Amino acid sequence: MSSDLPHRAVITGYGCVTALGTDSATTWRALIAGRSARAPLTAIEVQGCRVNEGAQAELPKLSRFSAKQLARLSRASRLVLPAVEEALAMACLLDGEGCSLMKRLELSVSTTACGMEKGEDFLRSLWKGEKSGHTAGVAHYQAQQQIGEIQQRFGFRGPAMIIANACAGGGNAIGHAADLIRTGMADIVLAGGYDALCDLVFTGFDSLQALAPDACRPFDRGRRGLMLGEGAAFLVVESERHALERGAALHGVVVGYGQATDTFHLTQPAQDGAPLEQAMRQALEKARLTPSEIGYVNAHGTGTPFNDGAEAKAFHAVFGKTSTKISSTKSAIGHTLGAAGAIESVFSLLALKSGFLPPQVNLLDPELLVADALVKVGETASLHSVMSVNLGFGGSNAVLVFSNP
Amino acid sequence: MNIGILSYGMVSPGGIGPESFEKEWPCTKIRNALGTRSHDVALVDRTLPELARWDREPRLRRASPVTTFIVESANQALEAAPEIDLSRTGVVVSYFLGCLIYSIRFYREMIKDGRRFASPILFPETVFNSPVSHLVTTLGLGGPVYSQVGDKSCWANALRTAKCWLLNGSADHVIVIGAEEFDPHELDAFHAAAWLRGGNLIPSEGAGALLLTACAGNRMLTLSEVEDGYCFFNKQEAMEAARSCLQEFPEKSPILPSATSWAKKIEPKVLGKRALSCDNRQSSLPFEASTASAAWDTIRACRYLERKREGDLIIPYWGLSHQFAAARISSPPLIPKVSKSQSSLG
Repeated sequence: MSSDLPHRAVITGYGCVTALGTDSATTWRALIAGRSARAPLTAIEVQGCRVNEGAQAELPKLSRFSAKQLARLSRASRLVLPAVEEALAMACLLDGEGCSLMKRLELSVSTTACGMEKGEDFLRSLWKGEKSGHTAGVAHYQAQQQIGEIQQRFGFRGPAMIIANACAGGGNAIGHAADLIRTGMADIVLAGGYDALCDLVFTGFDSLQALAPDACRPFDRGRRGLMLGEGAAFLVVESERHALERGAALHGVVVGYGQATDTFHLTQPAQDGAPLEQAMRQALEKARLTPSEIGYVNAHGTGTPFNDGAEAKAFHAVFGKTSTKISSTKSAIGHTLGAAGAIESVFSLLALKSGFLPPQVNLLDPELLVADALVKVGETASLHSVMSVNLGFGGSNAVLVFSNP
Repeated sequence: MNIGILSYGMVSPGGIGPESFEKEWPCTKIRNALGTRSHDVALVDRTLPELARWDREPRLRRASPVTTFIVESANQALEAAPEIDLSRTGVVVSYFLGCLIYSIRFYREMIKDGRRFASPILFPETVFNSPVSHLVTTLGLGGPVYSQVGDKSCWANALRTAKCWLLNGSADHVIVIGAEEFDPHELDAFHAAAWLRGGNLIPSEGAGALLLTACAGNRMLTLSEVEDGYCFFNKQEAMEAARSCLQEFPEKSPILPSATSWAKKIEPKVLGKRALSCDNRQSSLPFEASTASAAWDTIRACRYLERKREGDLIIPYWGLSHQFAAARISSPPLIPKVSKSQSSLG
C-alpha cells in the first residue's frame, strides 16, 4: 500500500457483537465505563480445564430466521450476521427489505476457528459410531459456509478472501481490504473478522497454560494470562470516490497498514519486540505520520507475560518520547482471536470519533515502559490519528493506522 | 502489469516435482474413520528423501505433513529462481482443510484423555497459520505472509492477493501455494457431502507452488487474468456461476478440464468445444486435493504452454462448496526475428 496510489480507503460503516454488547454502541458504552465481561462460561464444556471463565457473548436475536434455520447456523454465524447488518446499515447499503443494495460486494474476512463446534459435533458423532445426524452438518464447519450465509442473508455475491493469520488476521483482513481499494482492484469491500468460543480452542489455550486464572491484566507486572472471548466485527471499506459519489458519510480513513512476520517462535514473540516495531514503523511510513501524531494505540495486550513484555518494548521504542496513550481492550471483551483486529479497529475508530479512550481495566501494577501511557477510566483526548496493533501465532504482526476523514 | 511466472514446484502422490505428471499416481484402499467402507486414496510417499530431509530442520521436527509438502514445493520453486531477493518475497498459502491430522489428533486425545491432559505441543500446530510460519523461518522469506482458507477456488483468491502485493509494491515476488494433507475422517466428511458419489473423486494430498514476479521477462509465461467470486449455493447455480466467470475470458481461449466429483458431470456442458486435452489425458485428473489440485492444474497448464510455446490456456477452479473461479495463463508473444539491418539501427 504505497501512499502514492490514487485511491483513499475510507470507512463508511461498522458494526460489532462482543461480550459487552450486541452492537457497537452498547459495547462502546460498557467499554468506556471500564466494565469487563469476564464470567463463568456456559456456551462450551470446560470441565477438566484449569480455567472456566471467559468473555461469552449474548447471541443476538435473528428475527428473520426460523428455529430450524437457527439450529443449522454455527455459533460463529450467529455473531457474524448482526455485525454485518449493523455495518451495512450504517453505510446506507441496505434496502427496505434489509438486503444489500450492492449485488456484487467483495469480502475480506478473518477467522481462526470457522464454525468449529460443527466440526466438533461431526467428530464426536463419528467416534460414537453414529452414521447420520450431526455428520450432515460438517459442511457448516468451514469458513466459506459462514461467508455463504452472509451472502445469502444479505443477497450479494463476490470474491471472498478468508484470511487465517491467527490472532492478527482481523487486522490483516482490513489492511487487505484497504490494499484492494488503493490498488484499484475493488471499489468497496466488506472487511472484518469473527470467532466463537469453542471446545477445541479453549482447551488448547488452557493446555498452554495461557489463560488467566483470575482477572486478565494486560501490561500489569502481575499479569497471569489471557481471557478468551468471542465476537465479530465488520467494516465497510470503500474508495473515497465511490463513497462520495453515493453520498455516504465517512467515519475514518485507513491511512497505513504494516505487517511483519516474527520468526522467533511459533507461539511467542521475539522478546525485544523488533518485528512488531518493524510493522508499526511500516504502517507509520505508509501513513506519512510520525509517532507523535498517533494519539491512541489499541494494543494487542493479551495479558500473557511474553506478549505484553515484547509489546511494551516495541511501544517504548516507537512512542517512548511521545504523549501517545495506549490500552488493551482484551481485559474487557476477552481475546477474540480472528475477530480481535476487526473489533479493535472499530474501537479505534470510535475513539477517533468521540475522543473517549478505552481504559486499561484491571490494572494494578503497570509495566514501567508503558506505565505513563496506559489509559485511565474517563480519559479523553483530541485525536487526529489512531493505531490498532495485533499479533498472532505463527509470528503474524498486523498494524493499522486510521485518521479522521 | 504483466505478472510473470518465474518457476514452480510440487509434491504429489506421483512424487517430487512437476515431472511426476509423467508417472502413474498410485492409489491405496483406505477405510473411513467410521470403519464402514473403503475408498481409493492417492497419498504422498512421506518417506521420500526429498521430504524426510526437512524433518532435520529445528522448526519442522514436529510439524504436520502439510507443512513439509509446503516447504518442499516452495523450495523447488525458489531453487529454480536463485537470483531473487528473499527479503522481498511474499507468501500466500491457500488451504481447504489445513492442519487436519493434528487438529483431529488433538481433539481426539482431549476427548479421550480429558481436557486436563490436552497436548500443549500439538495445539499450536493445529493453527492454519503454523505451516507458513515454519516455511518463512526455514527458507528465510521476508515479505508479507497470508494464510487463506476456502474451497478449492481459494487458490484463485490467493493468486489475486499476490497480484495485489505485486501491484502495490509490498513484494517483488510472491510464492502462491496450495496444500492439503489427508486424514481418513475426510472420507466420512466427503461421504456426508455426497462428493464421493459417482467415483469421480479420489481424495489426495500434496502441494503446489507458483513463484510470481512483478517483472515479467519477455520469455516468461504470464498470469494474464484471475477471476474469482462466482459463488453458488446449489449445482444449478454452480453451472451458471461457471458460465458467467468464463465469459470474462477471451472466448477463443481453450480451457483445461479440471473438475472432480459432481462438477465432473456439468463441466462438459460448460466448457463445450473449448475443452482442451492436456498431457495426453482425455479428462481432468480424478485426484482431488483441493487447493493443491488447483496448483497442480495450474502447473499442468504452464507445462503445456511451455511445450506449445504460444497461445494461452484457462484453468477453471471448481470449488465444490462455494465458489467457481478461473485463471488464464499466456505464453510470451513470439519474438519476431530481427534482421541485421534493423539491428544496426539500434
